[in-house]
Amino acid sequence: MTSNEKLRRFEEQISPHLKSAYNLARWLTRSHEDAEDIVQEAFLRAFSAFESFRGEDAKPWLLTIVRNTSMTWLKRNRNAGATIGFEEALEDPIERSPDPEEGLLISCDREQVRQALEQLPSDFRQAVILREMEDLSYKEISATTGVPIGTVMSRLSRGRDWLRRILATPHPVKREGGAGLR
Amino acid sequence: MNCDDSRIYLPAYLDDELDIAESLRIQKHLTECRDCRQAQDEQLALRSALRDPDLYAYPSADFSKRIEAAVRQAAKEEARSQRSSWLESLRLGSFRWFPAAAALVIVATIGVLLVINSVRSSHEQVIASAVLAGHIRSLQPGHLIDVPSSDRHTVKPWFQGKLDFSPPVPDLSELGWTLVGGRLDYVDKQPVAVLVYQRRMHNINVFLWPNHGSADDTIREEDAQGYQILHWNGAETTYWVVSDLNNAELLEFARALRGH
Ligand SMILES: [Zn+2]
Repeated sequence: MTSNEKLRRFEEQISPHLKSAYNLARWLTRSHEDAEDIVQEAFLRAFSAFESFRGEDAKPWLLTIVRNTSMTWLKRNRNAGATIGFEEALEDPIERSPDPEEGLLISCDREQVRQALEQLPSDFRQAVILREMEDLSYKEISATTGVPIGTVMSRLSRGRDWLRRILATPHPVKREGGAGLR
Repeated sequence: MNCDDSRIYLPAYLDDELDIAESLRIQKHLTECRDCRQAQDEQLALRSALRDPDLYAYPSADFSKRIEAAVRQAAKEEARSQRSSWLESLRLGSFRWFPAAAALVIVATIGVLLVINSVRSSHEQVIASAVLAGHIRSLQPGHLIDVPSSDRHTVKPWFQGKLDFSPPVPDLSELGWTLVGGRLDYVDKQPVAVLVYQRRMHNINVFLWPNHGSADDTIREEDAQGYQILHWNGAETTYWVVSDLNNAELLEFARALRGH
């Protein structure tokens, strides 16, 4: 491949997934500026690694790089406050009600859904975003996040349970320890 | 299927990750069980809340332009550094395939800068350079063909006694590729067979020799400004194909050749 040819193919195969890259980075960092920096870094990495791209599905290939870049970035900037809230979020904030009807999703308010998703611990959030927003298969999520399919399934199911319960609660709730996601 | 199983399979069912038999089993249970249907409704409600398009984070148009520019800049820098590393290796005389002086003459004569990109090993780089040099040499008057013939029964025996292997010489004329002859050449100091095919006014040089390594018939592409280079390792034979024909047609040719 000449550089021109490489560029042409990259723009044809990889660039259309910019929006998925940004969406993932944005939800992982919960910050617009950070997401832009990460996506730019990820795209340059993707371009220099493009020769190793063997024409498999481009979206999971790119999202793997975005996800890894985000993780490195979050580790590097842990002191900058980017990950504050993760530990708290690991605890289940839901007051468990004995009423089985409690499981019903009663909030479809978009801002509440957004907040709930932002509070979901990172590993679970990644799986939910890749499945619900990016429509990746379990296998693709497994490849993107580097964990076995069984782990993907359990993260999805526990993450969704957690979201269902938090959204079924009428008011933002005081914390109560106990049934955490850990 | 009981309710416990149904709840375990439900998410995978809704994510379309179950096979048909399992899907049918859970569907049957769902028609019979109200509790599990309610669980399904809750999961679907959550899904539609999460798939709200307004929750999706879209990059701005400015940002998309910024990324495009950054990638193009990276491509430019990459091209520059590859060009200079090629010149560097030429200057150091590290091309072992033929004397540097001859290389310089050819470069000067042809007036092209040959940039071999995306080669996977230095050995492959040497071969790619040699094959390309062979192709360019062949374009000079009287160098293309030692045995001019469109008959494979003439070309194939001609190699006997000149090489210690017998190259396959397929007839691809029905597919629109005309055999025009063959010659001997040298790649990495080894004598190799070259078959010459034509389409329209374009010559295609096929360099081939026995493959002593593992087979991998994935067609790999190298591109050297204006020339296309394709290669793969067949079960018995290694193929390198060079031409100034466009990439799509040359790939078609390579597949035809590989299929024989
Ligand atoms: Zn049931």
